Amino acid sequence: MDVDPRQYEHIEVNDNDIHNIVMSYLVHNCFKETVESFIACTGMKQPSDYLEDMEKRKRIFQFALEGNALKAIELTEQLATNLLEKNKDLHFDLLSLHFVELVCSRKCTEALEFARMKLSPFGKEQKYVEKLEDFMALLAYEEPEKSPMFHLISLEHRRLVAESLNRAILAHANHPSYTAMERLIQQTTLVRQCLNQEHAKDGPPPFSLKDFLKS
Amino acid sequence: MGGEEDDEPASKRMKLSSKELRHLSNGSTIKEPVAGSSGDLMARPLQSEGGEEVVGSKGVIKKVEFVRIIAKALYSLGYIKSGARLEEESGIPLHSSVVNIFMRQILEGNWDESVVTLHNIGLTDERTIKSASFLILEQKFFELLDEENVMDALKTLRTEIAPLCINNSRVRELSSFIVSPSHCFSVRSCKQDTLRARSRTKLLEELQKLLPPTVMIPERRLEHLVEQALVLQRDSCMFHNSLDKEMSLYADHQCGRDQIPSQTLQILQAHTDEVWFLQFSHNGKYLASSSNDKSAIIWEVDANGVSFKRKLSGHQKPISSVSWSPDDHELLTCGVEEVVRRWDVPSGECLHVYEKAGLGMVSCGWSPDGKWIFSGVNDKSICMWELDGKELECWKGPRTLKISDLEITNDGKQIISICRERAILLLDREAKVERFIEEDQTITSFSLSRDNRFLLVNLLNQEIHLWNIEGDVKLVSKYRGHKRTRFIIRSCFGGLEQAFIASGSEDSLVYIWHRGRGELIEALPGHSGAVSCVSWNPANPHMLASASDDRTIRIWGLKNLSAKRKDTHSNGIHYCNGAT
Repeated sequence: MDVDPRQYEHIEVNDNDIHNIVMSYLVHNCFKETVESFIACTGMKQPSDYLEDMEKRKRIFQFALEGNALKAIELTEQLATNLLEKNKDLHFDLLSLHFVELVCSRKCTEALEFARMKLSPFGKEQKYVEKLEDFMALLAYEEPEKSPMFHLISLEHRRLVAESLNRAILAHANHPSYTAMERLIQQTTLVRQCLNQEHAKDGPPPFSLKDFLKS
Repeated sequence: MGGEEDDEPASKRMKLSSKELRHLSNGSTIKEPVAGSSGDLMARPLQSEGGEEVVGSKGVIKKVEFVRIIAKALYSLGYIKSGARLEEESGIPLHSSVVNIFMRQILEGNWDESVVTLHNIGLTDERTIKSASFLILEQKFFELLDEENVMDALKTLRTEIAPLCINNSRVRELSSFIVSPSHCFSVRSCKQDTLRARSRTKLLEELQKLLPPTVMIPERRLEHLVEQALVLQRDSCMFHNSLDKEMSLYADHQCGRDQIPSQTLQILQAHTDEVWFLQFSHNGKYLASSSNDKSAIIWEVDANGVSFKRKLSGHQKPISSVSWSPDDHELLTCGVEEVVRRWDVPSGECLHVYEKAGLGMVSCGWSPDGKWIFSGVNDKSICMWELDGKELECWKGPRTLKISDLEITNDGKQIISICRERAILLLDREAKVERFIEEDQTITSFSLSRDNRFLLVNLLNQEIHLWNIEGDVKLVSKYRGHKRTRFIIRSCFGGLEQAFIASGSEDSLVYIWHRGRGELIEALPGHSGAVSCVSWNPANPHMLASASDDRTIRIWGLKNLSAKRKDTHSNGIHYCNGAT
């Protein structure tokens, strides 16, 4: 790194801030037990409001990740009413997860029925059309894993949806939907990028978390 | 399929030949309908190199193909019985039996069987087989959907269509159709609103296009071949100069010389000195001429011919050229190294004089919207003026010569003028790009084609060069024959679709060439002095005007028109029964 590490000495960082950063990460990802022991170790004040919800959020996340979208939807409705109504994109993503489940379990008739009832109404809006067609295309293949749309049935896709759902639930409860840590890293990367662009060779190189952790 | 007629007994062949001969109108190859005569090509079919029978004097038409496309044409025309009879009599089936079965299966909707038959037709290209199968199964899919048999349609899609592994985007669209048959999600995948399964006949047509022509003869093949021949005939017709000449199948199309103006219809005598320049207006209703006598004359063209309208006087020097405004209401005249005058045609009034102190104009032209005029100046620059005389722009440097033509293209972007003895400048005034036509000889004049794609350049060495000026300039043709030694001689494009080139000459003849073929068609006598300029009426391909040092203008038209013409109003041409 080109920036002189000694310069960091001038900047004070409050311990409490660090604790909060770590806490926000743990809470966001529903690490309940870790949260409890962290609070015990640091003597922090217990952020009571979102502890109980953490357990529920964790379950919702798990169901979504597995592909059990209907259960995830049910629990979400309980925890955060009207969330999905207000967040149609998310609702669509979850419903299509269920559709994918049906297709993968080769339950074609059910999948078709489900698509007609629940998914095709989204088709009235232009922005959902292409995604809808992507999902519908899965029906055409006896082995959807080998179809051009195979990425839609991947774990990666489910993870994206699950994380999106998690963030939405947090936002719904007026909590930050991104962890502080994530934001900090994002900010650093962006600032470094700007500096790099402005000063080209003279400026600091783009931020790399990996390199930073190694140094 | 090709070997079938080999099984025919010889006697049947002979019988066929005499019968067929009566029906064929192919007069050039069939001489006598006598079986066994040596001139009778049908009775004793020739063997081509491939061992197949051929017809026609050149031995390039395969009999089997010939009969098949005739049969196809008969069916297309609706003569089903005749078509069937031909197939029967000739023993040459239009389609092989496999193909016939295939076609029947398609029309009857036996999809699965038709796919099997498809594999037996004898196609070699895997891709074609798959594409054709796709089309057939797609039809099956849609017909199932129409019957609301969704599950079977889905099954077809999954087990038959998708495994073909072609056209994935279409497979995607078909999936969408299953989910929402009543309306499509996106407009682009919707072909028709309600009826999605198209007719089986249409499917057959699509398959026909897909399969090679040897398997299924394309529709209207015979008509296409005949049209090709007609177009070829028309293109090679050297004298083709009339719109109303219809083409007939009975004889090769050939216009006679009588379509080219070659007879003096009128001699116009009104100038008192050599006539240097003339030009028809864009609408062909007027002719403007300019002369060494310092005047320009406007002539009117009408039913009775060309008549004097008025003389424009005012120049103090001989007038080297004139230029019609795009709407033909005004005329520019340019005195030799003098001024440019703008005249109102109906009244003959001089509307404006364009001049530059201490300098003289050498050429003039209009912008295509009629708002500006351009002129070459004898200080080698080109100027652009507003109609009221305000100078807008001036391109300096060697842009023009002392005597120069000036043309502006129809898009208003290019200015063309002679800039050096042996070079023509094509200046794109917007893009500020200059292109040049370079010649080995001195250039004396040039003329721009109506479509602005070509430039006709007159050279000192008695050649006329045709250049293509689109993109990179390219020399296309050369025309020779006329005489030029001392004076400026001008040439022009003319005739129907500007298919001809006409030029003046110092030997007092008017020369006409066929543009495409470069051949000299006519050298017209009449004038008694060098012919310096010609102009072909843009509205009347049969009218040509020439200007000569003998102080006259001659109007040329078709020979023997009054005798030949039955209806004089057919193409608006009216002839003056003037004598030569």
